[in-house]
Amino acid sequence: MSGGDLHDTDCHEVLAQLWLFLDNECDHERRRLLRQHLEDCGPCLEEFGLEGHLKALLARKCGGDHAPDALKQRLRQSIREIMVRQAHAGLSSER
Amino acid sequence: MGVVAVMSADNAEPAQSGRSESSLEGTMVSDGPGAAAQEPPSEHVERGVEDQSAPETPEQRAASALETPEQRAARFERDAMPLLDQLYAAALRMTRNPPDAEDLVQETYLRAYGAFESFRAGTNLRAWLYRILTNTYINGYRKRQRQPVAQPTEEITDWQLAQAAQHTSSGLRSAEMEALDRLPDSDVKDALSQLAEDFRMAVYLADVEGFAYKEIAEIMGTPIGTVMSRLHRGRKQLRDMLTGVARERGFLRDAEIAS
Repeated sequence: MSGGDLHDTDCHEVLAQLWLFLDNECDHERRRLLRQHLEDCGPCLEEFGLEGHLKALLARKCGGDHAPDALKQRLRQSIREIMVRQAHAGLSSER
Repeated sequence: MGVVAVMSADNAEPAQSGRSESSLEGTMVSDGPGAAAQEPPSEHVERGVEDQSAPETPEQRAASALETPEQRAARFERDAMPLLDQLYAAALRMTRNPPDAEDLVQETYLRAYGAFESFRAGTNLRAWLYRILTNTYINGYRKRQRQPVAQPTEEITDWQLAQAAQHTSSGLRSAEMEALDRLPDSDVKDALSQLAEDFRMAVYLADVEGFAYKEIAEIMGTPIGTVMSRLHRGRKQLRDMLTGVARERGFLRDAEIAS
C-alpha cells in the first residue's frame, strides 16, 4: 500500500468509517484515504460492497408507498375550508 | 429516550426527561402552531432545517405579508402536497399500520399548513415536514399506540465498535449479498419494522430518504453522535435479521454463514 495515512494495519479504522463514506459524511481528504485503502484491501472492499448493498436494498424495498387517494382528497378539502375561513376573516378585518 | 419534542404545537408538551444537551435547547415555545419550527437556531443548528429562521429580507417579509390565503393555499398545494406520498411512507414505518399512518399524515399536514405562512421559501421543506411529522408522532400517536416501545440504549461502546470492525470470513459476503437480493420487499420491511423505534427512524431517514446526519439530528431532536450510534446499531441489527430471514428461506446455507 502506498502513500496516505491508512496502511494495511488500519483495516479496523477503515471498517469503522465505511458508513461515513457510504453516507457521504466525510470530507474530501478522508474520502480519498478511504478510497485508496479500499483499492488496495480486498476484504475491506468486500465489506464496503456489502454495506453499500444493504443501504441500496433498503432504499429500494422500504420506500415508495403511496398515500391513499381518499386521504389526499380529505386533506385538500380541509385545507380549502381553512383557506376560505381565513379569506373571510381577512375581508372582515379590513372593513 | 433521547428524542425531544422540538416543535411547538397547540398541544405542545414539556420536553421529555433524558434529553441530550445539544442542539435544539430553547426551542419549545407556546405561542401557538403558527410559530412551529420557526425558533431561532442555537449555534449547533445554524443551517439545514433551521434555515428558515435566518433573518428574512424586507422583500421576503413584504411577500409574506402580501400573500393572500388563496395564494398560500396554492403554494402549499404546489410545494407540500407532492411530498405527501413520501411522508405517508415514513408514517407507515413509524406507526406500522395504515390507519394510524393516515391519521398521522393528516394531522402533520394540517399543522404544516397552519404554520406555512411563516415557512420561508428556499429552505428545506422536506426536512421541515419530517420534523413536524416526527413531533406529531412523539406528542400524540406514540402514546396512544398499544405496542410497547422498545427502549434502546443510546451509548455505543468501544467494545461494540470493535465487534463491528472486523472482516467476516471471505466467500460469505457475496453469498450474503445474493441472498439479501432474493428477499421479497415484505421481508425487508418487516425486518425494519422490528427495529426499536429510534433505530428504525434513523435508518429510514438515512437510507430510504437520504437525509444527511445533520438533518436527521434536527428532525429527531438529538445530537449527531446519537444519530450515528442509532444508525450503526440499527443497521447492524437489520443486517443480522435479514441474514437470518434469508437463511430461513433457504437462500443462504448454514455452512455459508458459519464464520
